[in-house]
Amino acid sequence: MASKANKPELIVNGKRLDGRDFNQLRPIKIEANVLKNATGSAYLEWGNNKVLAAVYGPVEAQPKHMADPSKAIIKCRYSMAPFSSLSEHNRSGPNRRATEISKVTKEVFEKVLMLNEFPGSQINIFIEILQSDGGTRAAGITAASVALASSGLHMRDLVYAVSVGKIGEHLVLDLDMIEDNYSDSDMPMAISPRNGEVLLLQMDGEYTKDELERAFKMAADAGKEIGNVQRNALKSIYENIDSKYKGE
Amino acid sequence: MQEVIYPGDLLSETPIRAPNSYIENGKTYSMVLGFKDSSGTGIIPFEGGWTPKVEETVIGVISSERNNVYEVDLGSHYRSLIIGGKYERFSFRLGDIVEATVKDIEDGRTIILSYPKALQGGTVISIKPSKIPRLIGKNNTMINQISQGTSSKISVGMNGMVWIKDGNIALATAAILRIEEEAHVSGLTGRIKEMVEKR
Amino acid sequence: MGAIDIVKTAYIKQLMSTNLREDGRGFNDSRDIKITTGILQNAEGSAQVDIGSTRVLAGVKLDLGEPMEDTPNEGTVAMSADLLPLASADFEMGPPSPEAIELARVVDRGIRAGKCVDMASLFLEEGKAWNVFVDIYVLNYDGNLFDASEIAAMSALLNTKVPEYVDGKVVREKRIKALKIDNIVTSVTVANVADKILIDPTGGEEEAADARLTIATDGKYVRAMQKGLGGSFTQKEILDAAEAALNRHGALKQMIEKTR
Repeated sequence: MASKANKPELIVNGKRLDGRDFNQLRPIKIEANVLKNATGSAYLEWGNNKVLAAVYGPVEAQPKHMADPSKAIIKCRYSMAPFSSLSEHNRSGPNRRATEISKVTKEVFEKVLMLNEFPGSQINIFIEILQSDGGTRAAGITAASVALASSGLHMRDLVYAVSVGKIGEHLVLDLDMIEDNYSDSDMPMAISPRNGEVLLLQMDGEYTKDELERAFKMAADAGKEIGNVQRNALKSIYENIDSKYKGE
Repeated sequence: MQEVIYPGDLLSETPIRAPNSYIENGKTYSMVLGFKDSSGTGIIPFEGGWTPKVEETVIGVISSERNNVYEVDLGSHYRSLIIGGKYERFSFRLGDIVEATVKDIEDGRTIILSYPKALQGGTVISIKPSKIPRLIGKNNTMINQISQGTSSKISVGMNGMVWIKDGNIALATAAILRIEEEAHVSGLTGRIKEMVEKR
Repeated sequence: MGAIDIVKTAYIKQLMSTNLREDGRGFNDSRDIKITTGILQNAEGSAQVDIGSTRVLAGVKLDLGEPMEDTPNEGTVAMSADLLPLASADFEMGPPSPEAIELARVVDRGIRAGKCVDMASLFLEEGKAWNVFVDIYVLNYDGNLFDASEIAAMSALLNTKVPEYVDGKVVREKRIKALKIDNIVTSVTVANVADKILIDPTGGEEEAADARLTIATDGKYVRAMQKGLGGSFTQKEILDAAEAALNRHGALKQMIEKTR
């Protein structure tokens, strides 16, 4: 978190700096199947975040000794482009933060994908943050979920992710970069909308038990909206399908 | 357009065994993106990888040989073998294109092939396996149309590999890739017909 | 190279012997090129280039830094390239491959030798200058990354707006002027496949190629060249390719300028 010394007023007259209500998401746009070579892919804009996600596989597990004879393994790479942030140029390649996000993202999809169908194989999930404005891990997971669905891999649910933060006494949904830098608490989550199971949970700051409960409720409500965008992206790949689909 | 089903959608409050669905806590859910099939519970997926079935025809390329056991690259993560025996000796070379039948699937990861036949000359292209039924068409109409229109010999593997020889291979390839791209759009047979006949 | 690639390579070479390419193009025909600029807002400049299904994104960042010792009145430009694993099943995770480094260096040489960026305009004050970073992100691979990257880098530089610099501080939110670009360099890449020379190779053709040659020009001079892969070119083939690159520069330049 940035220095609190020159902290801007994040909430003015009950509205956030960008004019949003406390429980309001930034605008989200998703396009599925955008990369030719990938098995599945998605491009997502979430506020000012711009994210590309792609899935390859199943492929033969590499190196071979990493193969699990009982199920497929997942490799996941979350990475931020050197030109992704408004501040200075970043060196490309994974740092400690990106490595951790890659790991927890991989663990989200371990629960979601039917890995036992492809023993000995490997599924690759790549998330590239082309432009960042806070909440990129949630954006990445939401995009990867669409990429996976568009690949046809068998999965239990269309997972979404979102974060709920805290500014002063207020719980606020979907922190942007400035809010993230100066807020008191943040809690990104990935959730299976089918049953509300939490697949990713990270938190730092301070939440009472009651606030956690309210945060889960805010995330669930946001999930309905995010899910609609995800489903519309998938549907529009096939918008032209009609009854002749099954054959002439 | 029919109702689209997404992964995780509830298909039934009761456990029902149906294609591309799964059962959890006594309820049935979809595990793919697709349409409901005629049973109303199973799902016809829009996309999907290839899961081998016994007696299916596949096409691949010989990638290694040892003691009369040939490994075949089917463009998938499955290890695929042609196992010669005392009375059954094969003489494939590396890089040979072969057509064969799935005899068995061991441990869910190794395919044993039978009746291998080398396909001489030509080339292979790979498309999404989920589009293969569309490429073949009802009673082979689609594939015959391309074959006749381009004067090419075409053989289709359910693993997504397609062998093409002679005739206008470039046109046949373009037609096949177009089917992969537009499998879900109506009027495809007509457009492919126009494509291969107008040249 | 996988077993299937061996078959495809053999087929492409066989086609060559009958003077045909896999996608029906003539040997001197390039695929359609599409340039989109200004697609990223955090970057000071950006451009995406599609050549067939090859897709490359270039982003430009300007950081406050110091001039090099031997050029105290100029800024710096650094080029890097990533062959992202999401661009091809054959690209791997991990540190930049030799191929990625070669790509960045070749693009860099053309733009540097062509004196495209006005280095003196990057000077701010004693000991302070802009460090310009151009990062090439390969998003989908189907051959000819060199030309796609050269166009993407050039277009992104032309698209770049310089942030305000006051009292020794950078005001990122305020971009005050375009980066000063003095020259435009474009490249043409040819491949030698089964002793035939073809322009703008696809991924399959590069796989089948014995040698690859990239020629960067500004229309008047050849500015950078790079021969790649194990094979070779005759001197005549190189001169012909240089002529093709010089001739094609005008059309490419026009395309780049139109989308700045």
